[in-house]
Amino acid sequence: MPLTQSGSVPGARFVDPSILARIGNLDLLARTVVDGFINGLHRAPYFGASIDFAEHRGYVAGDDIRRVDWRLFARTDRFYVKQYEADTNTNFCVLLDVSKSMGFKSREVSKLEYASYLAACLAYLAHRQRDRVGIITFDSEVVTHVPPSAKHFNILLHTLDRAKAARPGQLADPVKKLAEHFHRRSVLVLISDFYEDPDVVLEAIKPLKFLDNELIVFHILDPAEVDFSYDDASSFEDLESGEQLPVVPESFGDEYRKLIAGHVNTLSTKFSEHRIDYTLVNTKEPLDRALFGYLSAREKLMRVR
Amino acid sequence: MSFLTPLFLAGLAAISIPILIHLIQRERKRVVQFPSLMFLQRIPYHSVRRRRIRHWLLLAMRVTAIALIVFAFARPFFQQGALAAAAAGGGAREVVILLDRSASMGYGDHWDRARDAARRVVGGLSADDRATLVLFGRNAEENMRATSDRARLLAAISAASVGSDATRFGPALKLAESILSRSTLQRREAVLISDFQKIGWGSAEDARLSEGMTLTTESVASPDATNLSVPSVTFARSAFASQERIAVTAGVTNRADQPARDVPVTLAIDGREIETKRLTIAPRSSASVTFAPFTAEANARGTVRAGVDPLPADNAFNFVVAPSAPISVAIVENGDRTGASFFLTRALAIGTTPAFAVDVVSVGRATPAVLDKRAVLILNDTQFPSVAGGAALKGFVERGGGVLVVAGERSSWPTDAADLLPGKLGAPVDRLSGRSATLGYLDYSHPIFEIFKAPRSGDFSSAHIFGYRAIEADPMSRVLARYDDGAVAMAERRAGAGRVIVWTSTLDDSWTDFATKPVFLPLVHQLVRYLARYEPTTAWMTVGQVVDLASTAAQIRGDRFVVTPAGQRTTQRVGSSGLVELDEQGFYEVRPAGATTGRPQTLAVNIDPSEADLTPLDPSELVAAVTGRATQAAEAAVAPTPLSPADAERRQALWWYLLLAGLALLAAETVISNRLSQKEKFL
Repeated sequence: MPLTQSGSVPGARFVDPSILARIGNLDLLARTVVDGFINGLHRAPYFGASIDFAEHRGYVAGDDIRRVDWRLFARTDRFYVKQYEADTNTNFCVLLDVSKSMGFKSREVSKLEYASYLAACLAYLAHRQRDRVGIITFDSEVVTHVPPSAKHFNILLHTLDRAKAARPGQLADPVKKLAEHFHRRSVLVLISDFYEDPDVVLEAIKPLKFLDNELIVFHILDPAEVDFSYDDASSFEDLESGEQLPVVPESFGDEYRKLIAGHVNTLSTKFSEHRIDYTLVNTKEPLDRALFGYLSAREKLMRVR
Repeated sequence: MSFLTPLFLAGLAAISIPILIHLIQRERKRVVQFPSLMFLQRIPYHSVRRRRIRHWLLLAMRVTAIALIVFAFARPFFQQGALAAAAAGGGAREVVILLDRSASMGYGDHWDRARDAARRVVGGLSADDRATLVLFGRNAEENMRATSDRARLLAAISAASVGSDATRFGPALKLAESILSRSTLQRREAVLISDFQKIGWGSAEDARLSEGMTLTTESVASPDATNLSVPSVTFARSAFASQERIAVTAGVTNRADQPARDVPVTLAIDGREIETKRLTIAPRSSASVTFAPFTAEANARGTVRAGVDPLPADNAFNFVVAPSAPISVAIVENGDRTGASFFLTRALAIGTTPAFAVDVVSVGRATPAVLDKRAVLILNDTQFPSVAGGAALKGFVERGGGVLVVAGERSSWPTDAADLLPGKLGAPVDRLSGRSATLGYLDYSHPIFEIFKAPRSGDFSSAHIFGYRAIEADPMSRVLARYDDGAVAMAERRAGAGRVIVWTSTLDDSWTDFATKPVFLPLVHQLVRYLARYEPTTAWMTVGQVVDLASTAAQIRGDRFVVTPAGQRTTQRVGSSGLVELDEQGFYEVRPAGATTGRPQTLAVNIDPSEADLTPLDPSELVAAVTGRATQAAEAAVAPTPLSPADAERRQALWWYLLLAGLALLAAETVISNRLSQKEKFL
């Protein structure tokens, strides 16, 4: 799997995310970007359900009495609650890693900002499809939790806007806690830089796969992390632990690039094995191109499915 | 390890500079924030380590370079190393080159070979060695003080020339010992370059080199040297037609093993050849040749030359001849008895060197002219001649005249000249009864009796004295002889330049039989010579002698100058010592200052006749005698003395290597750091 996608898409439709970053309104941004794709490309097969009636079930205490089918009560003298297909519409939840390493940037856009654009765009798509959108940000624990709701799109955007990469992160603990929140089948979009061992990552996100959730993983990396384009021998400081290491890029570069490629490869392989969509995103790529790539590939998969 | 200038070690503080720079650079190092070191930490650590080592290497190079340079300035040296070097015989040498410049070195090419040998010794010196050039003949002098400057030594050798001196190894070896004993260098050597004449080394010489000094010899002697020499001449004087004629006899010695045939021997007077005779001389023997008599003027310069050989210096013999001048003696006798002066006149008639011109007058016939042109006046048992007068006699004595008073029973002395007489004449003492008197005490330190000093050189005790005049010796006078009873027999008194001697008995057979004894004649001669202040004229002198011109050229009053045979002129002021050392062969002239005409007083100077004897000495014999060892093998066993710190440091010169190493390190450091920075820049 190539780490970077080369070649340029013809036309001016693809805008460099660094230019978008100058526009502060994420909502607008998301629309601008996603509007370019939704025409016929992304049909959201899960979410495309109608509001057709599905079945009745017996009223149990605690049920919303507004949902009691009074006509049926009249006929049968029993309380039934109507259940609609529309009610089963999926949740769309963004799991955004806001650990300190996500704040890294070698260009204008940090990984967190880029992830935020990505999350906003996807949430916008989902919202357009009337899915309930929610967001959970986490580092070593859950930072903010916006439960999925049809009305939470703006809150989601606010949350993204406020998100700051402030603390060291860790995947296992917060994900374990999050898994408890999903009682419905959901579409979960996990955006992280995955600085963990692939096995640990897999082990951590397994609970998310319960309830037959669909998990989509975006692996965000800065070009500097991929290419390791450093010149001077310097002391490298770990953004999260603060640990420092003297590094001579000349002698470290090849080894590092080999290691990160291996890491990406391993993640890709392991996610595939667990039927998890895995996409590597490089922040130097235009966001629309990243989305386009993902959605195109997904459509092909859908067709297969 | 020691340091010559340890204060420079304070510069080691400069080592902190690169360390500080390294520390400062480390702090200023850029910190790059990176999302995670997860992968970087997995990269094997050696890469990091290598980077660090490179920096440590630079630091170490800088620190070491500074330390080396500081140590270089502190001038380090190893005391042990200096000792070891000395013990291994590799120490610097103190060399004394003893170059023989005696007259015999003028033989053939001896002198050139000797100088070549000296130059070879100088050429063999290393940079740390020192050498002293000593030129010696009869005496030794430091021609060039201890120096490492080879050019100066070579120049001194080239400037040296053969002298006219005799050869004496003793003074030279003593001087070498003195120079070497003062030296602080490890190896001390004397190199003796000579023709090793046997006569130059006497077994009684006490010249010895101390332990640790070695003597190397370089002989330039020729194995079969042929040499003719004229060691001396003699003069036979004869009167001829009221003139004195002199016949010169010259001895010629052949030192070769072959006979010298038909050798021309030439006599030259005042530069003009008078006569040449042919002579054949047997091997290692001498022959003499007598030339025809000639009439000499005063101070005539004579030279006898014999043949031609490789050593010309001893083939010529110089001398000065002059007509002999007899001592004029006036004997005043009483005249009342005949034969009173018989023994005296007979004794004085015998003298030849000098001759005595004797006039005997009786006191009654004495005229005031009796003192004119006389050197000595003898008052032979007579009353004082009234015509002379006390004042006239006083003047005569003070001008240098001599008076011998033979005090018999007739003798009297004028009161106005009483202070001239050594004592007051008393009454005659009769020793006819009982034992006669004899001479019991003689002052052998006095010039008159000096010749009798040696054993069996004159028996004064055999003379019987039957009567004498008592004399009360004046404290100002000197008693020269006493009788066995302690009475004064002879006393002397000086007045001005002259002398008055009184003999208290007679010089005839009236009171004593002394005149018939063998010692009478020489005593009378001695008395008259002494009173006349007679100095024998020396026909020649030998190189090395010192003459006192104040006495030999006393007739020159005022300043005088001396011209050496080489033409060098030195002026002697009045009142100066007047000593002149005769160090050249030839004729020295002494003239009054300012005088250009007239015949100067001349001194003939010849080389020591022993220089003609070229018989060589075995150099190893000399070495054994001087060092106390048959060979020089013992030199290695000499315990080395440590070099002085300055010498040790100079010899080792470690600072030079340290400085070079320091600079090389700095250069390497510059290259390495440049490469490193370039790599870091273009990565």
